[in-house]
Amino acid sequence: MPILSVLNDLLYGLGVSLTPTNLVIVLAGLLLGTAIGVLPGLGGTNGIALLLPLTFSMTPTAAIILLASVYWGAIFGGAITSILFNIPGEPWSVATTFDGHPLAKQGKAGVALTAAFTSSFIGALVSIVLFTFFAPPLAEWALKFGPPENFAVLLLAFATFAGLGGGDPAKTILMTLLGLLLSTVGFDIVTGQPRMHFGLVSLQSGVNFIVIAIGLFGLGEIFLTVEEGLRLEGIRARLGFRDVWETWKLFPRYVATIVRSTILGFWIGVLPGTGATPASFMSYGLARQFSKHPERFGKGEVEGVIAPETAAHAAGIGALLPMITLGIPGSPTAAVMMAGFFIWGLNPGALLFTEHREFVWGLIGSMYVANVVGVVLVLTLVPVFAAINRIPFSVLAPLIVILSSIGAFAANNQLLDLWFMLGSGVLGYVFKKLRYPLAPLVVALVLGDMTEQALRQSLIMSQGSPAIFFNRPIALTFIVGSLLLFALPVIRSVRRRQATSAPERTADRE
Amino acid sequence: MRRAETLFALLLVVGAGVGVREALRLPVGWTAAGPGSGFFPLLLTLGVAFNAILILGKSVRTAHPQASEPFIPRTAFGPLLVVFLPMLAVIALIDYLGIYLGGAVYLAGYTRFVGRFGWVKVILVSVLIPVALFLVFERWFLLPMPKGVILEFLLYGR
Repeated sequence: MPILSVLNDLLYGLGVSLTPTNLVIVLAGLLLGTAIGVLPGLGGTNGIALLLPLTFSMTPTAAIILLASVYWGAIFGGAITSILFNIPGEPWSVATTFDGHPLAKQGKAGVALTAAFTSSFIGALVSIVLFTFFAPPLAEWALKFGPPENFAVLLLAFATFAGLGGGDPAKTILMTLLGLLLSTVGFDIVTGQPRMHFGLVSLQSGVNFIVIAIGLFGLGEIFLTVEEGLRLEGIRARLGFRDVWETWKLFPRYVATIVRSTILGFWIGVLPGTGATPASFMSYGLARQFSKHPERFGKGEVEGVIAPETAAHAAGIGALLPMITLGIPGSPTAAVMMAGFFIWGLNPGALLFTEHREFVWGLIGSMYVANVVGVVLVLTLVPVFAAINRIPFSVLAPLIVILSSIGAFAANNQLLDLWFMLGSGVLGYVFKKLRYPLAPLVVALVLGDMTEQALRQSLIMSQGSPAIFFNRPIALTFIVGSLLLFALPVIRSVRRRQATSAPERTADRE
Repeated sequence: MRRAETLFALLLVVGAGVGVREALRLPVGWTAAGPGSGFFPLLLTLGVAFNAILILGKSVRTAHPQASEPFIPRTAFGPLLVVFLPMLAVIALIDYLGIYLGGAVYLAGYTRFVGRFGWVKVILVSVLIPVALFLVFERWFLLPMPKGVILEFLLYGR
């Protein structure tokens, strides 16, 4: 039964995504996304935030297909600059530079690119299949959630940041709380009372998520890129049919790596708060550990390109699973997409499956279509995309600033938002320099209203007693899970003090 | 770097304190509609304060790996100001210039003085890009952007 109904829904979704209009949207999204992925200083999160205003006039289905296609394009595109220029176009393609660029320097750019795109594609496709079959039962299960369960699962999401995000847990928790706090500015969602505006009329309408995201991720990134100084020394790419064929012949050798990286990537993607970036790093590390020739890594090992790329794309897909089923974005990029849901008049979460079938299955169908089209597109258009990187940074920097201003203004038609954007840009720069992770802040800001509502409704149900979270089995499971995750960094630091200091994982960029 | 870390944590503690005060002006206890509107903000601000104090304490007590490194490398100071100050100026003058003219001026200045472009290229870039943006956002997607008094006058004569 359920399998047949899933297949039926999937066919319907493929039908939706294969209409001429939606196909054009997929194509446009992929091209834009790949360009965004290629350009340093313009990331997927920011790119999607900038495009959000353009979707206001679209149908929700077309809008989500566009944004998702941009996301897939950005994941494909990130690899191009990593391999050819040794500059990660996206944080999740940092690990791809380790072996991708050495390969390119040895004259095997074609091999590295083909390996990156192909493994990205396989990781994505397998994950989409997992997505297709996991999402409906998860959504159905989530329909049974009441406010206490909702609050507990949100708490679990925040706990994953602290437990698995790496870095200083105090900073992670602080950023989460700050994000939630920003969402309370404006009108109280229950009583309508204006609050937390510090006497400023302009704050009474609240803090706009898109504006903050554009500032933190867009302008902050520009400041960092300027500080680091940008030097591009590219290797020319030519991707012939033979390169592709020769590389594909290597693939059967790496089946184990691909399977491992896909599962790892998908799972890390599903966990809220983590995304493609930690997935790619972990997958790279594991591939090296399992390899018979770990010494070859870092010097141009094809497996060192396959592992992070597979995981990054699998995680990108996985990150959308909790978003569409539970209303919890699995990554900052997903958080920006979810901010779109509210604008398009949809409530993220399990009800989408029953009430907005076209939207959900159109999105899932478009994932299949977009990734098939995407891999063909990038394989054939590599030289074109690589040429984008010849745009001088002195044009790119002001262009990104102008686009950011347009995006921030369009979110609310409010000039004051430009100042908020600039302020968040400066703050974003400071946060990154001092290693305060941005992802929890952005995700918490999107989830703020839902979290508060769930908490207050639960307490109303129990007439003020927090015991309600402990005597309902599902809620209790989530609460215990969150507590364990919150305790994890403490346990880890005690252990570390006993052993030698381990290198710190950075997982704060996506 | 270490001084910046300590200072910023201190700033967060103070900010959280101000936030607590703001939350306390609201009903924080039990009301007719359940927990008052200040309940959640109070919880959050207290949490921020607690974690900021933790970070502050850690920063003061432990050795920072890059303690002696300056927060902003000296060589990056100039380039950073060159991006930031024009941004500030364009936003401050947005009422007059609007996004498109402001953007054109920003592009022209940046490509000329940072990119050291020739004048022909400067003019090409700073005319074509804003025009393209205008067509995409204003005409195609019908998103009204602030155009500033100058462009309003040129376009619509008012």
